[in-house]
Amino acid sequence: MSATPNASAETTSPLPENGGLSASIGRTVFEGLDGAREIYGVFVRTLYYLARARTDRDAVIRQMYEIGNRSVFLLTVVIGFIGMIFVLQAGLQMQRVIPDLSMLGASFMELLVRELAPTIVALMLATRVGAGIAAEIGSMVVTEQIDALRMCAADPIDYLVKPRFIACLIMTTILTLWSGGVSVASGIVTAEVIFQVTPRTFWNLSLVHASDVVTGLTKCVAYGAAIPIVSSHCGLSTFGGSEGVGSATTRAVVQSSLAVIVLNFFISSAAFIAFK
Amino acid sequence: MTKMFSPIHGAREGLMNLAATLGQMGIVASQISRRLFRLDFDREELLRNLYKMGVKSVPIVLLTALFTGATMVVQAAPIVQRYGATQLLGWGAGFGILREVGPILTALMISGRVGANNTAELGTMTVTEQIDALRALAIDPIAFLIVPRFVAIVLTLFLSTLYADAVALVGAAYAGQALVGVDPITFYNGLTSDFMGIADVTNGLVKSAIFGIAIGLASCTFGTKVTGGAPGVGRAVNATVVASAAGIFVVDYFVSFILT
Repeated sequence: MSATPNASAETTSPLPENGGLSASIGRTVFEGLDGAREIYGVFVRTLYYLARARTDRDAVIRQMYEIGNRSVFLLTVVIGFIGMIFVLQAGLQMQRVIPDLSMLGASFMELLVRELAPTIVALMLATRVGAGIAAEIGSMVVTEQIDALRMCAADPIDYLVKPRFIACLIMTTILTLWSGGVSVASGIVTAEVIFQVTPRTFWNLSLVHASDVVTGLTKCVAYGAAIPIVSSHCGLSTFGGSEGVGSATTRAVVQSSLAVIVLNFFISSAAFIAFK
Repeated sequence: MTKMFSPIHGAREGLMNLAATLGQMGIVASQISRRLFRLDFDREELLRNLYKMGVKSVPIVLLTALFTGATMVVQAAPIVQRYGATQLLGWGAGFGILREVGPILTALMISGRVGANNTAELGTMTVTEQIDALRALAIDPIAFLIVPRFVAIVLTLFLSTLYADAVALVGAAYAGQALVGVDPITFYNGLTSDFMGIADVTNGLVKSAIFGIAIGLASCTFGTKVTGGAPGVGRAVNATVVASAAGIFVVDYFVSFILT
């Protein structure tokens, strides 16, 4: 049994370890609130440096390449399949209720702009970029490079988090536009091949209103801001060697995906109420 | 950025990497299934992993399911209102949750929390030569480490999807009441209408089992193939989450297409 690494890198908490269900719920809630406050702190400091300090343009471009260009392949594969899955499932379900599939394309476009493109892109970026950012910053923490930065009077938030924040904000929007295009293409092909809906019928923007575009873009910006902040925070709070880097990466993926899902709910319902 | 960008070269590199990874996964899969048929694996390790992966993921899965269910209602509401049939809300949100969104989002969260963690753990053991130490003690690392983890991941995802579906439907019902003004009773009636059947539930569960196999294979393969110290572990974790995410969506399409 000694082969199993025993330090599972759980955060130590002042509350007793065994206290039944209510204690564990309470512990989870308190830890969650603490984490949220720290993430908020990172966000505010990023905004402060964004307004106050000079931005290193080369670093931003490097991060844009790292975050954007290197995610294109993954996103193209995933979102292409999403288009196919959506058209297949929605078409089959619509056939059960209304035999007319002429509105399939219009509903697809509407949901794509408002929901699918930004959210799926953000979930994929949360896994790929979130894990990448946390692993990179986390290994800098355990090799004491962050301390070295502080010694040089460079705040890691200014030097490391800000370029990633700007790059992610820009690239999320661009990748969402690209992914929208890809999934429309794959949706058109699926509709033509499986349901014999011609591309001309499928390409129907009558249900896409300005409010849907605004909602989609709001989501892009919110996700693009949340992912780098949450995963940088996970990277900066790394402790305990290479195992710590692994667990920071895991936390970054989980927390940034969760942030995307929660933000999605709030933005969607706000939009639903506002644009009703 | 210093590297020249050449699409043909990149595509060739990518395809070769893909083929190599799939081959490695195939080897790991055959090694796992051989021990699984002989029931040659460590049961205590399986229970420990089930606790660590399954029980500890409950809060995240619950939170994800609750918000996802609510979001599905918000998205389905305009479509349902347009056709003027609130009793269709249960159907609209229900088939989406049971067939696609429930299994996919649970799989994404489990792959992030469990698959990545498993890779990090196996990777750390690989780079610190603990797996070689096991072999030196004549303990089969596949039967002792890999098979229990693989089985635990598949079971965790399957069981999590079961309750995530239920929680997502509850979240959807009450979000429907709060935002759209549809009574939860109407919502549940919509779920049991003629448009839906047991096939919608089993479809999603079959998917979750297949996603579990994909995540487990990716995580165990990348975890045992780590090279190059701590940064290597980070790279392996990254590769696992990316491969699992892409795998989930690709597999999902084909399973949806076959099962319909």
